[in-house]
Amino acid sequence: MHEKAKDAVASFVAGRTSRRELFGYGAKLGLGAATMGFLLNEAQTTAQAADFDWQYYKGKTVNLLLNKHPYADAIIADLENFKKLTGMDVKYDVFPEDVYFDKITAALSSGSTQYDAFMTGAYQTWQYGPAGWLEDLNEYIKDPKWTNPAYAWDDVLPNLKASTSWSGVPGAALGGEGAKQWAVPLAFELNSITYNKRIFDKAKVEPAKNLPELVEIAAKIQGSGQNVYGIGTRGSRSWATIHPGYLSAFANYGGKDFEVADGKLKAAMNSAAGKEMTALWVDMIKSSGPRNWSTYTWYQVGTDLGAGASGMIYDADVLGYFMNGGDNKEAGNLAFSAFAPNPKGSSPTPNVWIWSLALNSYSSQKGPAWWFVQWATGTEHGLFGAQKMDLVNPVRNKIWQDETFRARIAKSYPGYLEQYAASSPGSKIYFTPQPLFFNLTTEWAASLQRMVAGELPVSEGLDELAANVDNQLKQAGLG
Amino acid sequence: MATATLKGRPTLTRRPARHRLLPYLLSLPALLVCIGILVPFATAVAYSLQRYNSSLPYLRKWIWWGNYQTFLTDSAFWNTVYVSLSYTIWTVGIELLLGLAIALLLQRTTRFNNAAAIACLLPLMIAPALAALMWKLMTNPDFGILSYLVGLIGLSDFRWASSPSTAMFTVVLIDVWVYTPFIMILLLAGLRALPRQPFEAAELDGVPASFVFFRITLPMLMPYILTAVLFRLLDAIQQFDIVYAMTQGGPGDRLMVFQVQAYLERFQYLNVGRSAAFLMVLWLITFILSNLFIKNWLRLRERARGAV
Amino acid sequence: MASKISGGAVLRAAARIIVLLFFLFPIFWVFLMSFQTNQQILRIPPSIFFTPTLENYTALFSGRLQTASGSLDIAFIKNLLNSIILSSCSVLIALILGVPAAYAFARFKFRLGENIAFTLLSFRFAPPLLVLVPLVAYFQMIGLSDTYIGLIWVYQLICLPLILWIVRGYFEDISPDIEHAYRVDGHSWAKTFFKIAIPLARPGIAAAALLSFIFAWNNFVFALILASADKQPVTVGALAFVTSAGIQYGIIAAAIVLSVTPTLLLALYAQRYLVEGLSLGAVKG
Repeated sequence: MHEKAKDAVASFVAGRTSRRELFGYGAKLGLGAATMGFLLNEAQTTAQAADFDWQYYKGKTVNLLLNKHPYADAIIADLENFKKLTGMDVKYDVFPEDVYFDKITAALSSGSTQYDAFMTGAYQTWQYGPAGWLEDLNEYIKDPKWTNPAYAWDDVLPNLKASTSWSGVPGAALGGEGAKQWAVPLAFELNSITYNKRIFDKAKVEPAKNLPELVEIAAKIQGSGQNVYGIGTRGSRSWATIHPGYLSAFANYGGKDFEVADGKLKAAMNSAAGKEMTALWVDMIKSSGPRNWSTYTWYQVGTDLGAGASGMIYDADVLGYFMNGGDNKEAGNLAFSAFAPNPKGSSPTPNVWIWSLALNSYSSQKGPAWWFVQWATGTEHGLFGAQKMDLVNPVRNKIWQDETFRARIAKSYPGYLEQYAASSPGSKIYFTPQPLFFNLTTEWAASLQRMVAGELPVSEGLDELAANVDNQLKQAGLG
Repeated sequence: MATATLKGRPTLTRRPARHRLLPYLLSLPALLVCIGILVPFATAVAYSLQRYNSSLPYLRKWIWWGNYQTFLTDSAFWNTVYVSLSYTIWTVGIELLLGLAIALLLQRTTRFNNAAAIACLLPLMIAPALAALMWKLMTNPDFGILSYLVGLIGLSDFRWASSPSTAMFTVVLIDVWVYTPFIMILLLAGLRALPRQPFEAAELDGVPASFVFFRITLPMLMPYILTAVLFRLLDAIQQFDIVYAMTQGGPGDRLMVFQVQAYLERFQYLNVGRSAAFLMVLWLITFILSNLFIKNWLRLRERARGAV
Repeated sequence: MASKISGGAVLRAAARIIVLLFFLFPIFWVFLMSFQTNQQILRIPPSIFFTPTLENYTALFSGRLQTASGSLDIAFIKNLLNSIILSSCSVLIALILGVPAAYAFARFKFRLGENIAFTLLSFRFAPPLLVLVPLVAYFQMIGLSDTYIGLIWVYQLICLPLILWIVRGYFEDISPDIEHAYRVDGHSWAKTFFKIAIPLARPGIAAAALLSFIFAWNNFVFALILASADKQPVTVGALAFVTSAGIQYGIIAAAIVLSVTPTLLLALYAQRYLVEGLSLGAVKG
């Protein structure tokens, strides 16, 4: 159908035409940029096929479990290319994030073979890995029989590679000795400030330089008579309340979740630094956070920012990115700023969330599933996702250097690249990996809720939390 | 030996075996189908007797009453018992009073009353999981109509589910909104089925209305009230959808009811043993409560039959 | 005297209006929301005035929605069909199993009868989560995971006890004399059951069926854990409108309106049986 376009694309891949000429040609044929992008990717995929037997599992069908997310949308949009490249078929189930992990847990814990590969976060692998539900992907990545030479594992950002690998020993460093690669990064988010320029200008404020300043500015916005609240952060009774802004700031103040000694963990949330930072945080929420803070998940945080109900958010950078488009009222008004909370510190230390792909160890077709995973986390699909879809932030250096991608972001998301450049060097997972992560971090959130509600003072609250956590660690034989 | 007799009628001749078996033939399929599903129940009991956290597989072992023993000194457990029971008492209590009042209002068979009864059933038709999403929006301090309305009467800082002091109120309100119609329709059916004579006699004798209500209406309505309360009680103590969607048990541990706690333990913390133990305690409580109710119900019915 | 009566009547009318307001206002509001764009819904302060749009409904029916982060595929109509299949099949099977059992408990005094009746009711006591988790593994073993049959089977825990309890009460309400007379005429038991008992109990059966349909329709947890996206009912499916580009309130509202419609139609159809059918074995004068 698009034979002419295909020829043009082939000539581009062979280096005979420039990208601009190519897309100009596509426009003449009446093809949109996305279609041309798809065709281009198809051609590049064909080129990639030359040195590796992608067709090895021809005729097999891979079953995926995906989270309802722009990253999954990018995979689905590019899926035809995978099918063409490998001769395989792909079936997928998409579940909304609210219930996504519960769905995975239900499937994996019953030894289900229903899904061969699935999306997961890094924290989840701290449970799934020790439970024996995941394949160690090192065995695949490091073996040329399994992985195509163009895969370029070294191109993946080292912090992310480390953050998705762990030895399974509670408290042992991520990516440390004996680490197994439980998952492969697909795309990730780090935590920084996204602010509403319109509201900031009216309140005559600039993005904050540190946490005490942030508290002040948030209060100023709240009091600026614009009928908006100062700052959006998550507050629901969930581990997800701790991991974005809160833990990034906590780490920047030098706070640690645990001390590890002789293979035993000890709660350290109640250190002086932790208390200082938490007290500021609680004040900030009390005076200028959302009034329904304790029910806020990232959906409400994002919705408020997009609808102009909040002045800024301290949350995932991509959340601001998503809200800066579409039919959101404030689309186009949002700007981005890296953030180093500690006045004595110099550079940001954002905690990261990494959407990754993992293999179900019960799967009866790990080979075909790995074929899919290496394609989805490879450079070609990553480029397609970053240029045409919202596979942001990319996990590969090469994609960050891609001009088309950079130009697109610079144009539609002013300040985003600068924010990323400043944030990314210090970005990694700042939690100590251990299998009780969800239990203990959720408790942390519940404790924060009680502090914000004024039910107990910060210092006492953190002491109580630490005692409680230590008790649970002991019961589980970890403390 | 099993003997099947038609109730209220002495058997004059011995019935053929086929007929003695008849009631079993009629009721066993239902029983078998349900028991088939309840095979997992035994598995769950076994889990509750183990230290079993999927992410710590090497620690798995039989600890028998260990999980239950830790409950005795576990403040989280007692908090859950307290929250679940108060949620149940508040919701069922309010729903019963409100449902009874509305049923009395709509008691007369008129076109308006019939239409109103169906209209009142509407909240029951919205799945609680979806209703909670809507209530979450309606109680949002910025965009929510309810927040706006209570703001008009001076409560501009009312924080609904997100404040520890009003969280229980909010979820009880939603539960009342969803389930009062269930009680109402059962009681309405009961009221309309009551015999006329006692009321007519009372009216002729000039007995005061309050006396009629407490001495005639209420006792005669008792089987209905017990049934309605029984079903609501079972659902309320097993509450999950509304609380989970609104606050996941927060703020703090304010709304941590049994099934939310068990759900978190099971699906997020992978603490299979502890989750099962929580659910077994819940099962025990419901079992005892419903036993009491059904015994009473059977006795009341026998008495009502004897009286007429 | 006359003024006293009209005073009471005014109070009663006012009470009726308050009751209707309480139950219907949220629904009215959701109904209005279903005709608004997300931008209109997310206004500060909320307002009752807006230009209605059919966007939400078109999106649900056409299966596509444009959002900030590209277009969103909507399987809502499929979810709705799943809900209809699951709920009606569950109720149907619960009726086939439950009505004869209810009849047996009402008409025969037999050994263990009350025990069986109580056991059946007690299935309602088992916390759904308790059964659910091991069930996933067993269904996996016997090949019932992610099938309609498996789900319908589990839904019996919701439907059967309710039907049994209500229909039994209704059977007990009907005097057995008519059945006796018919039997004496030489008709078989089966014929009596189908020709006399069931038609007489129709209101009770209809009311019980409607209520269990509603409870099956509203179920969330069973469907969430046991079904793949393919077999998801609306309760779980509607969560898909909570997206990374914001929560699509307008669509959720429209989804609620559409998901209530089948049940409402059923309720209107069964209206005349509803109240009459719930007279649970109390003795009529």
